[in-house]
Amino acid sequence: MDVSTAVFAVSCSGTPMTGTRALQKERQLNQFLAEVERRALRIAEIGIRDRDDALDLVQDAMIKLVRSYSERSREEWAPLFYRILQNGVRDWHRRQAVRNRVMVWFGKKPSDDNDYDAVAAAPDPMGRAPEEELSNNEAMERLEIAVHELPARQREAFMLRMFEGLDVAGTALAMGCSAGSVKTHYSRAVHTLREQLEDYRPEQLGSWEGKR
Amino acid sequence: MNKPDDTFDRQVKAIFDESVDKLDAATLSRLNRGRHEALAELQRPRRQWSHWMPATGVAAAVLVAVMLLQNSTTVDDFPDAANVTDMEILLGEDSIEMLEELEFFSWIDTADMDSDVG
Repeated sequence: MDVSTAVFAVSCSGTPMTGTRALQKERQLNQFLAEVERRALRIAEIGIRDRDDALDLVQDAMIKLVRSYSERSREEWAPLFYRILQNGVRDWHRRQAVRNRVMVWFGKKPSDDNDYDAVAAAPDPMGRAPEEELSNNEAMERLEIAVHELPARQREAFMLRMFEGLDVAGTALAMGCSAGSVKTHYSRAVHTLREQLEDYRPEQLGSWEGKR
Repeated sequence: MNKPDDTFDRQVKAIFDESVDKLDAATLSRLNRGRHEALAELQRPRRQWSHWMPATGVAAAVLVAVMLLQNSTTVDDFPDAANVTDMEILLGEDSIEMLEELEFFSWIDTADMDSDVG
């Protein structure tokens, strides 16, 4: 069964695992999900610009992975998980588009995607000076907006390769396309982002390097 | 000496990693709860989708067909693929919240009109 078939396959029957094997599987899955959940949340959040909905999408992806692919090898989990998550993000955008059309039909103002305030949604400070915190938040917001505005497939390729660190093959599995397409999308995304963020580097961003 | 491209990649990655490290406690708690709810799926018997999915699918298809036929008088009027997709989404479980929201807005409108009259 190829991955595209596997991802959309529906489990028809089965019984829960028991004993040592079940415990081992649960530990492996727990470790995997704990490793990816925070990056996955930020990736989903950049894709849809809504933290609450991003949390829901990540949880849905976790449940679907556990329910349908817990028997797969550990190496397959990351691309499968991100494929489920990216499908969730795409469905979210489709639902938003329909929602806005229905709202217009009912004579209501569609929700504004730009209402999202990345600074307001930014997490608690970690004891840094206010100006440093502000600079870091500003850098993230500029990057977040620039990435969000990329075409959807370029955004997916960029975030999976750059932020999650998937290799080309893993990204291709997650995106359901060829390795060649991944390279093209990624290359175009990087080119666009370099141009857009050119005036913001290297001084501002470079200043972070010594602090990490 | 690093190539400029490497520097850009490293800086962008650093900004992203920083934002991940700074996630607040409430968000981390929700992620943790979500993970444990997902892991609980391992203990549950798999659902027997095959028993009810055909019936649900047929019911949904009939409903959509009836709605589309009621509104179409000629071939030219027949909804395009985008509208069918809209219908699928509107018939989905996730649309309940949206429909409730529309009901709420309708109620607000009614309340506004009542207050204008009053």
